[in-house]
Amino acid sequence: MTMELRGRQLVPGRAAGQAVVMDALSFYGDVDPHTGRTPDGRSVASRVIVARRPRGSTVGSYVIYALKANGAAPAAIVMSRVDPIIVAGCVLAGIPLVDSIPEDQLSKVRDGDLVELDGSGVVRVRRAAP
Amino acid sequence: MYLTAEEERVLRGEEGEARAKALEVIVKVGEALGAERLQPIVHAHVSGVSYNNIGEPGRKFIEDLANMGARFSVPTTVNPIGFDLEAPEAFDLISADREVLEGQRAIVSALHRMGASLTLTCTPYYIPSVRGLRPGQSVAWGESNAVVYANSVLGLRTNREGGPVALMAAIAGRTYYYGMHVPEFRRPRAAYRLEAPGGYRLDYARAAVLGRVLVRLHRGEGPPLLDASVDRETFKELGAAVGAEGDIAMVFVPGLTPEEPPSRFEEVVTIDYRDVEAELESMRLDDVDLVYVGCPHASAEEVEALARELSRLKPKGNRPQLLITTSRDEERRISPEAMAVLREYGAVVLRDTCLIVSKLRREGLRVATYSYKAMFYLSRHGLRVGLESMEELARRLGSEA
Repeated sequence: MTMELRGRQLVPGRAAGQAVVMDALSFYGDVDPHTGRTPDGRSVASRVIVARRPRGSTVGSYVIYALKANGAAPAAIVMSRVDPIIVAGCVLAGIPLVDSIPEDQLSKVRDGDLVELDGSGVVRVRRAAP
Repeated sequence: MYLTAEEERVLRGEEGEARAKALEVIVKVGEALGAERLQPIVHAHVSGVSYNNIGEPGRKFIEDLANMGARFSVPTTVNPIGFDLEAPEAFDLISADREVLEGQRAIVSALHRMGASLTLTCTPYYIPSVRGLRPGQSVAWGESNAVVYANSVLGLRTNREGGPVALMAAIAGRTYYYGMHVPEFRRPRAAYRLEAPGGYRLDYARAAVLGRVLVRLHRGEGPPLLDASVDRETFKELGAAVGAEGDIAMVFVPGLTPEEPPSRFEEVVTIDYRDVEAELESMRLDDVDLVYVGCPHASAEEVEALARELSRLKPKGNRPQLLITTSRDEERRISPEAMAVLREYGAVVLRDTCLIVSKLRREGLRVATYSYKAMFYLSRHGLRVGLESMEELARRLGSEA
């Protein structure tokens, strides 16, 4: 199965990786800056974070920056809605960021799907056959 | 993005490498968000200064700027850290080992060299010089609770700036013109009315729960308008809950927000006070080890109110510890009478400190508080946290004589 989602490329760059799907995301509290692990034990390192909306702490930008410095950064971030905290973290760490993916389309992405950003805001999602 | 001749000059490095770098980051973030120009600011508040949070990468980021010769171009205040700078050992549950002490002092010293006022508080809105700023002025604040308070109560204009962006804006004296700086984006389109019987009192805990309910209900553009009787003090807990649970930078409260409310809304939603009560009821714990007051940092008035509650009771023999976090300025305003009551209860009062960014010595600690924000983050650090009113907290500590 393949899907093509269209959003807005906020921070430039192409990237690919397995999806880590989240609903509301505060980098501070929801992602460990040293290991890239979430409280439920998943890793965002070298994966593509797919999340609906941001929340929480303004320390989030530093967590994104620290993930990069610690070699545990996500390959890219894809969201329906972003805030300046996430944009700033991605700008500083050079992590490709796409927003404005409609929620009903974003919600079709599952953990482990292969997600590819072509750099122009187009996000291709492929699911391995079960 | 349109840049003035002066901004072009700064970007070319004619006012030094550090200012050029700072402005470049602001321009990049602004361009990503579609801002058409920059906005001069009159004040900055920097979050993301705790070594426990930002570690070596964050320390290096801040120190590199200071070493490059960066200086803040506007008055700049700073968020709290993980311990009391003058008394790191003052509370036995907080650990500050040598590495953390050293890393933290380096960060604080770098901020000081750049010209920060070392307030180390998450409530810059209690600082007299900040209260003197005029509604409509633009600032760049990190710290989500302070952002909501600034926009909603002080009428200042700020987005939820990420820690490093507030720092860069402080150096550049500018941020991007976007979001909360634009009058049109500050206009509420949806109104939320709390329906409650006459005399229903929104105390700190209930205001916090209402903030959480509001975030869950509010979708769409513009800040929500809230029709409920909150005052400046209880709004603090409401705004902190909103900042933790969501991405809303402003709650428009008629009577509190200095701007003129619109006369018409696209949507009017009713919130039943019984939903607030039921949610609060579901957040209680049985036994706790610690009662925590001061997230966001307690005001002197808040500490006085707690002391009044406690003075009507006698300390229980077997009671939880009491921790209060506040700023140095507010602590000085607490009356000797209130301090005497707190001493009777063995209260620990810490300055400079945010429990959320502290390193705690004990996993699984059970905490009671009226701060939803503290509950939100501390429970992510493996603590068990319950929410209840100030009166209930007092009764955990003392009993009727």
